[in-house]
Amino acid sequence: MEPNLGTIVRSISIGPNREETGLESLQFREEIHRLMTVPPENGSSFTELLQLPETQAMELLHSAHSDEVVPVPLSGEPLHGINDDHKSYLPSFNGNLTFPSNKVLIERAAKFSVFASGEHSPETSSVPSDSSANLEKVKSEPAETDSNPNSSQLLVSDPAVNIKNQRSEKRKEREKKGKGCTKKSKIEISQDAEKLPYVHVRARRGQATDSHSLAERARREKINARMKLLQELVPGCSKISGTALVLDEIINHVQSLQRQVELLSMRLATVNPRVDFNLDSLFAPESGSLADSNFHSMVSPLLWPEIPFNGNRQQHQQQWNFDALHRPLWGREEDNHTFITMENSLLNYESANSASLHSNQLKMEL
Amino acid sequence: MRNPSLIKEEFLKRWIIALRRCTSLKKNMNILERNKVVKLSADLAMASARNGTTSWSRALIANATRDNDNRILAEQILGPESEILVKRVSTMPFKTCNRRKIRSKRILKRSCSSAIRRVRKTVPRKVLANCIAKRLIQKRTHILKSLVPGGEFMDETTLMEETLDYIAYLRVQVDVMRSCTYC
Repeated sequence: MEPNLGTIVRSISIGPNREETGLESLQFREEIHRLMTVPPENGSSFTELLQLPETQAMELLHSAHSDEVVPVPLSGEPLHGINDDHKSYLPSFNGNLTFPSNKVLIERAAKFSVFASGEHSPETSSVPSDSSANLEKVKSEPAETDSNPNSSQLLVSDPAVNIKNQRSEKRKEREKKGKGCTKKSKIEISQDAEKLPYVHVRARRGQATDSHSLAERARREKINARMKLLQELVPGCSKISGTALVLDEIINHVQSLQRQVELLSMRLATVNPRVDFNLDSLFAPESGSLADSNFHSMVSPLLWPEIPFNGNRQQHQQQWNFDALHRPLWGREEDNHTFITMENSLLNYESANSASLHSNQLKMEL
Repeated sequence: MRNPSLIKEEFLKRWIIALRRCTSLKKNMNILERNKVVKLSADLAMASARNGTTSWSRALIANATRDNDNRILAEQILGPESEILVKRVSTMPFKTCNRRKIRSKRILKRSCSSAIRRVRKTVPRKVLANCIAKRLIQKRTHILKSLVPGGEFMDETTLMEETLDYIAYLRVQVDVMRSCTYC
């Protein structure tokens, strides 16, 4: 008898949860839509960089989250007549779902983002990192008995709120802290995101609540978030730990890119004695990747009669000996190239993929 | 990030326009001049594509318009937007007030370095390691500031954003130029 009552009680408790989760998933979706429509996409500022992937991350989180939520009610039903072990397991499992699942969700979302789109991954992984930082803060408040989607909703909306608010209202935050409040509360509702005059930051367990250290910590977190993005952008940086080494890599990358630009501009300057391009063919077909190839197909016939450097074909073939990668591709177009005495090896090593792609496009066109 | 091919298209268009305008001025240039022209036009094209929203683009435009002989070129390239952009660039007060900042930063650095030298003998190892790490990071941010155009006048957070944007721009530029040379 008692076990039956217990099962009934627990099934009832599961039932409203299911309904709640259904309702709140709807709310969650609405929140997402609101957040997506609010920030306008214009210009090239960093916030736009972050916003697009945020919405993606939120969508991903939502989809991942709904994957998590759905099996739980489904598994709830067959547990009606089963023994106590499962019964006792289920509520605790339900309770545990609030915190660890979010981390799992976020990791999943990060993985999804990595697979979904290459360039979006840096930003989406920054969003999970921010929300994982917020996770710790949420954990330190054990009194919260929010249901699953509510907490995840708060967590997900936090990065959006934080990033927007921190950027636009940093000064007011400093003023607020200067007033000497030792403990601040965090406003976690995203509805009035733009109307908030300042960002409240909650001090974590065991850390100083001094206004200066709080401001410093916020600043450090910002810088670390950007560093993570940079790490993912620069190839080969994600394995390195430590700010100084990462900065080293970034500097090397920027320097190498600048040097490449120099070399390529020198090359271009030597190749084109008359820089005159046919623009009509470029502007008429406005397709994305074909525009380049159209342009190039137009340019190459222009260049053919104009280049005074093409003396000896054999000379050119010898020059192109170091382009081991490109020779089979460019066998036909030797007389179009100039002397390239500067180092090609570095450029070719790095440009192998992109150049081959473009060359394939060109081949298709020509 | 936004669609990279869209950025490339945009950059390519503007660059072609800029190059055309440059070459219409001078018909026969030698290699060095052409080199300068190519670089300048590419820089200005990308900077105009950002429309002054990012700091490095403004700095590029500022540098370009500083010399008088480049100025006319730049204004022609930038076209009708040039007046707005140049105004925006010139209203940036970053030159005057930041010289003071830089001077004060230098004084601070010198005083800090002397303080560290005094303290080094009596301080435990952890703090020392921390100090050394901080110095390394400071040196590297300084180098990065010198690399990114307009970077010397920024604080660290904006510096990171600017480097992100700048790296994206450099990549686009390299890709476009490379595909140009290989055609």
